[in-house]
Amino acid sequence: MLKLIGWEIVKMLHLRSVRLGLAAAFVLPIIWTLAPGLKQVYGLVLVSGWQVPSLALLAGMEFLYPFLVAMAAAEVLGSEISMGTLKPLLLRPLSRTRFITAKLVAALAYPFVVLGVSLLAALFAGLPHGLGGFFGGTGLGEGGFAGVGFLGAGAAFAEVIRAYVFAALTLLPIAGLSLMFAVWFSSTTAAALGAIATVLLMRLLVAFPGLKPLLLTTYLDLYLHPTDWVIRLGLLFIYTLGFGMLAVMLFVRKDV
Amino acid sequence: MSETGKAAAHLVVENVSKRYGRKPVLEGVSFSLAPGEVYALAGPNGSGKTTLIRMITGLAFPTSGRVLMLGQNVHEGGYRARRYLGAVVEAPAAFYPYLTGRANLERLAWLSGIQGAAERIRDVLFQLELVAVADQPVAGYSLGQRQRLGLAAAILAQPRVLVLDEPTSGLDPDGIQKVHEILREQSAKGVAVLLSTHHLREVSAYTDRVGILGGGRLIDEVVMEGAAERYRLRVSEPDRALAVLQTLPFVEAAERKGEVIVARGPVDAIVAALVNDGHRVYEVTADYFDLYEYYRERIKYA
Repeated sequence: MLKLIGWEIVKMLHLRSVRLGLAAAFVLPIIWTLAPGLKQVYGLVLVSGWQVPSLALLAGMEFLYPFLVAMAAAEVLGSEISMGTLKPLLLRPLSRTRFITAKLVAALAYPFVVLGVSLLAALFAGLPHGLGGFFGGTGLGEGGFAGVGFLGAGAAFAEVIRAYVFAALTLLPIAGLSLMFAVWFSSTTAAALGAIATVLLMRLLVAFPGLKPLLLTTYLDLYLHPTDWVIRLGLLFIYTLGFGMLAVMLFVRKDV
Repeated sequence: MSETGKAAAHLVVENVSKRYGRKPVLEGVSFSLAPGEVYALAGPNGSGKTTLIRMITGLAFPTSGRVLMLGQNVHEGGYRARRYLGAVVEAPAAFYPYLTGRANLERLAWLSGIQGAAERIRDVLFQLELVAVADQPVAGYSLGQRQRLGLAAAILAQPRVLVLDEPTSGLDPDGIQKVHEILREQSAKGVAVLLSTHHLREVSAYTDRVGILGGGRLIDEVVMEGAAERYRLRVSEPDRALAVLQTLPFVEAAERKGEVIVARGPVDAIVAALVNDGHRVYEVTADYFDLYEYYRERIKYA
């Protein structure tokens, strides 16, 4: 199974949308450090390289990263359908459950890959501003960018890592949802649009306060406000598991 | 078919039907293939050939009925039944374009659990005359090379049932010849071969049975026994030659069809008799046209 998952991850890294996504994730933090309007948009003058990763997260988690994750997860299956390689694989003595589970694991790995690349680029872009201790905040901990006094390099690094891990975890249900739609619609575009439309719809549903705790979009900013993170991540895990199981169940009896 | 017959058959298609919503695509299709048998599926576009092949190979699920491969249900028995299967279900066969032909086969061999895969891959690449391009990315392959790589992938795991949808589609004459050679070889090794084709004349020489699909039903099955013993002869003085042939005891049947004579019997003896009688024999070809014409008639009234 591990070899199958490894192969799926390699195949995923060959996908055009994935490569474009990784390029975008790499470029975004670099561009952001050079943006002349940072003060107007975020009220921020960069005083430390540790503030760049949070800028990338704030900008990316709004739409870009969910979109990239939805696209990649949809294409993980959609590309096999459009290239015609799905049928030859399923003609082999390979369990459909194992096959789609390997794809699911690859799709779920992508948020970590894309945010990992973004973090590396952000740290690289932050180098000119220094990565030592500083007076202020990373934007991801107590006191936001203003901070609560002196922040050591180790503490800043811990805040950034925690935020990136939380951000990646909150993107997992979107990957699961998109793969489920890919199985259902047998199309990359339809699946990615379906996943993004669902996310946008959930954002609109905040007008119904009773539904708010159930919406996965409620937790997309968990990286900024990690209170009750166990419960919140638990709910997101249930969503991910549910979408993943639906994808498997649909695929096992699907006409290809 | 008796239970004993089913047990002996490599492939049993039993009352298979498929509906999409309320629209029937296949209705009650049944047939079986013995080891070494070659079965050609013929039928006009939309007759259900590809749907049937997708169901036989486990890619699609029947609404009712079942498919047994060496006794194992392809759909309920799970993926294990497919270890006996080799198939090409699309033309041209699809591969990962960024991988070489050899690397594509390596991955498929791994999925099939083939022991000694490197040697087997070398063999099939040699057999399909792909050694020269084996280490080039598939993206640069011609249509014919991709088709041949598809066939290489199908026979890679030494299957006992080979299923091919339009195996000669897109191939040049040499490629077509090569495919026919391989199918004959596979059949001689005891592999049950099922293929769908529009080219009945091409496959008549080695097909044992032809199933004619029309409107989603198997409307006829033609047993091809002895078909290869019919020959078309273009000779000088055809009327007199026909009269001579009709007197020969080893000629089972002879008739005039336009400018040619169609005769059933041992071809060497027929030609020798005509030459001895002073005729010039301009051309001798196996007669596959009856099947084709029969097919057209059946389809017309289906």
